[in-house]
This record gives sequence, structure tokens and C-alpha cells, in this order.
Amino acid sequence: MKETTVCILDDEPIVGDRLKPELEDDGYSVEVFTDSASALNRLDETCFDVFITDLKMEGVDGMGFLEKVKEKCPDSEVIVITGYGTLESAREALIKGAYDFITKPFRIGEIRAAVKKAKKRAKRNIA
Amino acid sequence: MNQIYDSPDEARQVAEADTQMGPDPEVAGRYERIRAAEEAHRALLARPRFSLHLQIYLGFFLIFLFVLGISVALVVNMYSVENRLRFLELVNEYVVQIDQTRRFEKNYFLYGTNLKDAVENIYQAKDLLNRNAEEIGKVMGKAGQSRVLQNIKIYGDLLQRLEKLEQQGMRGADYQRVKNEIELQLRESGHRLLSLGQDLTKREKKSLTDAIAHSRYITIYSLIFLLIFLGVYAFFLGARILRTIKRFSNYAQRIASGDYTPITPARGYRDEFTDLALAFNHMIQELENREAVLIQSHKMRAVGTLTAGVAHELNNPLNNITLTADMLLEDYDSLDDEERKEMITDVVNETARSKKIISNLLDFARESSSQLEPLDLVQLLQETIDLASNQIKLSGIKIELQATDNLPRIHGDIQQLEQVFLNLILNAIDASPKGSKIQVIIVPADDPHYLAVKIIDFGSGIPCNILNSIFDPFFTTKGKGKGTGLGLCVSQGIVGKHGGRIRVSSREGAGSTFTVTLPITTIPAEIGAATDSRSNISSFGSPGPQA
Repeated sequence: MKETTVCILDDEPIVGDRLKPELEDDGYSVEVFTDSASALNRLDETCFDVFITDLKMEGVDGMGFLEKVKEKCPDSEVIVITGYGTLESAREALIKGAYDFITKPFRIGEIRAAVKKAKKRAKRNIA
Repeated sequence: MNQIYDSPDEARQVAEADTQMGPDPEVAGRYERIRAAEEAHRALLARPRFSLHLQIYLGFFLIFLFVLGISVALVVNMYSVENRLRFLELVNEYVVQIDQTRRFEKNYFLYGTNLKDAVENIYQAKDLLNRNAEEIGKVMGKAGQSRVLQNIKIYGDLLQRLEKLEQQGMRGADYQRVKNEIELQLRESGHRLLSLGQDLTKREKKSLTDAIAHSRYITIYSLIFLLIFLGVYAFFLGARILRTIKRFSNYAQRIASGDYTPITPARGYRDEFTDLALAFNHMIQELENREAVLIQSHKMRAVGTLTAGVAHELNNPLNNITLTADMLLEDYDSLDDEERKEMITDVVNETARSKKIISNLLDFARESSSQLEPLDLVQLLQETIDLASNQIKLSGIKIELQATDNLPRIHGDIQQLEQVFLNLILNAIDASPKGSKIQVIIVPADDPHYLAVKIIDFGSGIPCNILNSIFDPFFTTKGKGKGTGLGLCVSQGIVGKHGGRIRVSSREGAGSTFTVTLPITTIPAEIGAATDSRSNISSFGSPGPQA
């Protein structure tokens, strides 16, 4: 079975630093980006199964990234994480096709569970 | 301090915070203001009192005294006229008697009529003189009086001698000779008596005319004098009142423009207006207190707005700490020492970051009294933008700060000016569409003694019809519960107090530019004069740097 790929995009480097080893422990293949431009470049090359993205960023923000992902990889699932969690942004993200909306600060377990569920859904999408 | 702290560091931080909040600048500023107010109070009351009451009463009393004087003089003069009239009558009567006597004397010599009537008349004249000896003496003097009396006596004696001569019944040449001799003397004496009388009449008539003229002059001159006195009195009283009223109307204008320096003595005495000045000074203090409350409450509102941004921004370091702690908890055993150390360092750093996010806001929120110092406007604006950075990030708007190099410092209160610029920047953020930018440009103003800060947004702009009202208190275009309508009003008050002004220009659909001009620090003394000469219209030239 092909390894599940996860893309983490957050301008806070610590988020990727901590999530990457934990998710790799769970058997995912993880790539970390701290700016949306390089993440978009990578998106041009490949579709990840699960995307984890922050909302507030320089340049293309999380919401724009979500749109791009859904446009290019409709089968992938996107988990939005943000410190600026408001009802409006959550609704907007879900309408735009986000799988989950997690507000900072979160525990590693929450992300793990969300990724696990998203992976199942992504696999189902492909199948 | 008997509080127990979790760590020595925390205790030290609290101690530092205490010393930061300590009495030095703000309390000193407040003391200075209170001392200035007390000094003004003392100086106002230290002068000798010369009340308006006193001036008015004194003036009327002087007028009364003067009128009393005129009246007394006129009454005295009238009395003297009356006396002269009576005396003139007396003299007239005397002259008539003498005239009669002379007529009888003439009849005797011409027609040989009896002498009795002449003697009777001369006795009546003498009697008249004797009865009024005192008055006559006063007018003629003792010498004149005795001369008249002597003349009468001589005349009477001559008549008596003539009468005796008649009674002796002498006839002949001897008789004729004596008679002629007496006749000659009689005529001479009679003539003298008459001329003395006429002379007296003339003199009395003259003094009567004099006395009447005198009373006329008294009336005319005193009227002229009274007119002059009343004019001068009215002038001084009026000038005193009007000048002071004008001064107070200037004070009122000055206070309205935000200058809260207490009124100091302008004259060498105190009066009812001093009470007014004291009331004004009291009012100034109250206004100042209220303004401080208003500024502070408005600042707290800005703090409230910023808190949302801070709370959101705080989630990032908190998340980093949580994730790191979580990982340490779960994988502690599998991590090597180096990794653990690195992660603990991350926790420490992220905690410091959290503290910084909050401390800017706390610095700004702290209440402090006005304190003027030379300020670097660029640095001040950078700090203000940092303060609003979370809000800016939250709204997805870019902010650009541009400044001409080597700008002079301005003179101001850092906290209050930060509040003004924060308010303008938050307004600009509210007006800007997502993804647009805000420009903050610092340049020398058209007036070489001023710097101008332009805050330019590219939002919807302000409609012309409300452009003039935006500085009015309680005017707001924001929804209910979103704006107090005091932001620009308070900002203008603060900038006005700094000797500057806020102007606005706006094009609907193209955005707005708020320009704050502030005096540079080299001319603190001219600040007041400069504000007075500048009007408060909302106008503005072309936006953009002018250096």
C-alpha cells in the first residue's frame, strides 16, 4: 500500500518541527513548508493526500491555499489550523471544502486523530 | 512586599514593574500642574482688593459730594442775593428819605415852608441807618458808616440851627447872613448825603449783579465739570469692565482650544472678576481632569480593539508551547538530550514571545499623566504600527512606513501621540478592503517648524457631506456598538494640545488621507502662538511626500 503523504504549511516553524516526527511515527510521509509560495510550487508537482495549513500567512493565505488545493487536487483533504479562529473563518473554510478546522493551541493527539480520519476519507475519495 | 513569588525572576520583574510605575514622571507632571494652579490661586488673591462695588459707590459718592457742594454754594449765593436785595431796598429808602429832606429844605428856602418835615425826614433817615447799623456797617465798612452818620449829624445839626434861628424870630442882615451861611452848608452837606446814598445804591446794584452772575457761573462751570467727571468716570468704569470681559472671552477661547494653563493676575488689584478668574481656574482643573478621563477611556477602547488581535496572536506561541510540551511528554524517553534541550529552549523562547506580545499592549494601556519630551516621530510611528500589528495581520492589510531621512524631533507626550496615531491607523484598517494597503508617510510640513504625518488608506473614502462633521464628538459612521464617535474628537484634542492639527482629505471611492502636523522641538515657546494663528478647517493639498 502506498504511503499516505501529508503536507504541513505553517509560517510557525515549530509547528512543522513537532508535527513532522510525530506523524512520521504514525507512518505518514510528511513534508513541511513555512511559506505558501514554496508549498504552491510543490503542489504543482504533486498532490498530497492530506494538507494541514495555517490561515494567516504572508502572500497567499490559508484560505487561498485551500482553494488552490481543492482546485488542483479535489480528492485531497485539507485540515485548517489557525490561531485566529472565528465562526466566520471556520464556516468559510468548511464551505470551501476543508475537512476539519482546528484552532490553536491544539494537542498533537487532535492533529493525529484528524489526519487519521482525513486519510480514510481521502482514500475513499480515490477509491 | 510580603508576597511570595514562584521564582526569583518573577519577583524581580514585579519589583521592576513597580519602579517603572513609580512616581517619577507622571506624578511630577501632576504635581507641577497642581503647583501652577495653586500659585495662580495665591497670586490672584495676593493683590489688594479694589472691587467694582467700591468703584461704583465711590464714584456716586463723589458725584453726590460735588452736587452737595454746588447746592450749598448756590444756596449761600442765593442768600447773599437776598441780603443784597434787602439792603438795596434799605438804601433806596434812605435815598428817598434824604431826597424828601432835600425837597423840604429846598421848599423852605424857596417858599418859606416849615422845616419840620425836613427834620422829621432826616431823623427817619438817621433812624433807618441806626436800625440797620450792623448790615450797613458790613457793606460800607466802619469808616464809611461813621462818615454817613457824621454827615447826617452835621445836616441835622444845621437844620436844628436853622430851626432855632427861625424860633428866635431874628430878622435883618445878621439873620440873612447866618441863614445864607447855613443854607450853603446845608446844601453842601445834603448834596454829600445824597451822593453818598446814590453811591451806595450803585455799589449795591453792582454787587447784586455780581452775585447773580456768580450763581450763573457756579451753575455753568459745575455743570461742565460734572459732565467731564461723569465722562471720565464712565470711561474708566466701562473700560475696566469691558476690558476684563474681553480678556475673559479670550481665556474662554484659549481654554476651548485645549490650553489649560491657569489664569494668572493681569492687574494690580483684585475685584469681582478675580472671583470669576478663580472659578475659571477651578473649571480648567475640572476640564483637565475630565479630558484625562475621556482620553483614558478612549484609550481603553483602543486597547479593547487591540486585545482581539493580541488574543489571536497569542495562540501561535501558545500552540508552539503546547506542541513542544506534548512531544516532550509523549516521546521523552526516545529523545536524546540535545533534542530535549532544544525543545525546552523553544518553550522558553515562545514564552518570551508571548510576553512581548502582551507587554506592548500593557505599556500602552497603562494610565499615565501628560509628560512632554522630544520624540522621534518615526520611532513613535513604528512602535504604534507594532502595537497594531496583530490587528493589521488579522485584517489582511499591509502597512507601509516611509519617512524622510534626518527629521527633527517633535515635542510631545509619547503615550497620547501613540493613541492618536493608533486611532488613525485602526480607522484606516476599518476603512480598507481586505488585501489593500495603508501608507504612513512622515515628511516636513509646508510650515518649516512642523512635521506632517500622513496616514493614507485606499478604502471607500468619506462622503463630502460628512467630511466636516467627522471631528465632531459622537459622530460615527461605524455601526451601533462599534464606535463611540469620540476617537477623532479626542485625537484632535490631543493634537491641538500639542500645538498641531489634524486635517483630512478624501475622495469617495479612492480613499482618505489624514494629516497630523506637529511642531518640532526647537520652538516649544511658539507652539501656543502658532495654534492661535491657524484655523481649524478641514482641508488638505495633494497627498504624497513633499520633501
